Amino acid sequence: MSGFTPRITRRAFTIGSLLAAGTAGLPIMVKAQEGKTVALLFDSLVSPFWVTGIEIMREEAAKRGWETLEAISNFDDNRQFEQVRAMIEREVDGILIIQTDANAVIPAIREANAAGIPMVHFNRPPAESDAYSVAIQADNRAIMRETVQFLVDEAKRIGGTYKAAILIGDLGDVNAIQRRDGFFDIVDQNKDIIEVVSRISTEWNADKAFAGLTNALQANPDINFLVTSSDFLHPQIEQALKIAGKWNKRGEEGHVLFAGFDGDEGAYQRLLDGFLDACGVQNLFLEVDMAFGAFTDLWAGEKPEKLLLDPGFVITQDNLEETRDAMWGFSVWKNQQG
Amino acid sequence: MQVGENRTTLLLLNAAPWVAFLAVVVVFGVLSDRFLTIQNFMNILTQSSHIAIMAIGITFVLLTAGIDLSVGAIMYVAVAVLALFLGGIPVVIAFPLVGLIGVALGAMNGYFVIKLRGQHPFIVTLATLFILRGAAIFLTDTRMVFVEESVMSLGRTSYFGVPWAIWVFAVVFVIAWIVLRETPFGRQIYAVGQDPTAAAKAGINVPRILFSVYCICGFLAAVGGLVSIAQVAAASSTFGFQIEFPVIAAAVLGGTSLFGGRGGVVGTVFGAVLIQTVQSGLVMTNATPYIYPLVTAVIIFLAVLIDGLRTSILDTLGRRKIRVEEIA
Repeated sequence: MSGFTPRITRRAFTIGSLLAAGTAGLPIMVKAQEGKTVALLFDSLVSPFWVTGIEIMREEAAKRGWETLEAISNFDDNRQFEQVRAMIEREVDGILIIQTDANAVIPAIREANAAGIPMVHFNRPPAESDAYSVAIQADNRAIMRETVQFLVDEAKRIGGTYKAAILIGDLGDVNAIQRRDGFFDIVDQNKDIIEVVSRISTEWNADKAFAGLTNALQANPDINFLVTSSDFLHPQIEQALKIAGKWNKRGEEGHVLFAGFDGDEGAYQRLLDGFLDACGVQNLFLEVDMAFGAFTDLWAGEKPEKLLLDPGFVITQDNLEETRDAMWGFSVWKNQQG
Repeated sequence: MQVGENRTTLLLLNAAPWVAFLAVVVVFGVLSDRFLTIQNFMNILTQSSHIAIMAIGITFVLLTAGIDLSVGAIMYVAVAVLALFLGGIPVVIAFPLVGLIGVALGAMNGYFVIKLRGQHPFIVTLATLFILRGAAIFLTDTRMVFVEESVMSLGRTSYFGVPWAIWVFAVVFVIAWIVLRETPFGRQIYAVGQDPTAAAKAGINVPRILFSVYCICGFLAAVGGLVSIAQVAAASSTFGFQIEFPVIAAAVLGGTSLFGGRGGVVGTVFGAVLIQTVQSGLVMTNATPYIYPLVTAVIIFLAVLIDGLRTSILDTLGRRKIRVEEIA
């Protein structure tokens, strides 16, 4: 046995060497991923959704050993384009972008493509083009459908007919359009009990939302079914309903069936207090995970689908306890409570 | 003959906003049975109050042939300071402090407008618009800020059946009207707007007048911010964003000229109410939301068009008058 000398063929030696090199390279690859720098380009931190989003991203990036560079364009497409260029100059490894306009971002994608830097759109996909990037988006239409369906079921359970109003977001924002469409998908199937008496254009502007809802309540004091396309408008809705004497809890007389979208901490508080019946939640934790996963795949040379959907979920008065941990607004709320 | 035609056109142009207002009221009144009610009128006045207050402020500036594009940014800074730093302070102390912030920011505009005489106030206040909005975003970290319940409750408070916002608006209007119509300072503002060189020759301290109108405008922008935040309860980074357009449009629709020396606060208030009446009517008739920005754009365009035509005709009439006198 001791005199046995194994014969190593050239082929075996080559395979062995490659395996050894590969094994040795694994930590290097991991190390290389750890040393990545990702640009986080937001158009604003206008609502708690974005603020929490960037905080989860920072945390997740730190966990993965990535460095982040942040910039905010404040709704200025040109400025954001310049920010993309600056990040390309800095030779970042990936660009995560939240653009204001779906079309205006296309030149930025082309620049990133030309520089070979992966670009991931968070929560807002770009318009159709031949440029390649990956977008993570909540399935707005489906989530809104499910949310409004819950409200319709509630309406049926309570009985009677309903006058509905919807606060629509910016008509240039694809998310706003999809949420509006999801709303109409359901109410149009239930015209026997629900009549939409007001479509309020808010342009994601609190001032306009407040004035619009006040006017709608003036024109239709019997509005008793209300859906907002974003939870960040809750303070204005509360104020307008209070003025109209319609801010009542579930089960109380004069309660307006009320649903929101996003899943922020204000929505959780209002669900807890009984003013809000349901909320379509974008799974922010999952969306960040999907976005960062897309970067990892792109760096590994894979080519993920251009659009990856977050199925989201609906939190209601009925499933509050068991679902709230997945609601990003709940973790914000919990932190605020100390 | 030409002079007669011009005078008729001028008369029609002056009447155009009032005719438009009447038409708007009639159309929406027919389309919605709740439009022509006292409660809706109160709503329109309440919702237009912050725009009207700011438009009154900008009327002072426009009368001197100036402009202030930074009103929305001043409004945002004032409210951000209120929400972030003056939270626990009673409103009777906090509100005057916010007003002082408005005066200070207006004074900054006035100072630069006077010092940089080669630059049109458009450029100066465009720069301060970006500076102040940037400052507000820096202060708030672009996060939504909330005001105390004591401020929010004002937005739901009424005195003698009239909402608090309308009272503030009414007080501002009456004081502004008296200042412009009944005081030497008001007459000096018109004189500076008509012809600053002639005003200076007549002994008017033109820089002082310019400085004062920007201070007034800044103050009223802050007051407008307070009235608005009491209603909407929270301010995001879009608070006051592009509000300068309806504010300037309200003043110009009401007959205040972009070229200075002509107009007043009565027309301005009318302009602000007209804009809000249209918005209110669109919501009440459940109009498609795609129409809203189109209608707003048409109003602003009409306001500027009417002012341009009016100024051109007035210039023509002025020239002809001189010629007639020369012949005589």
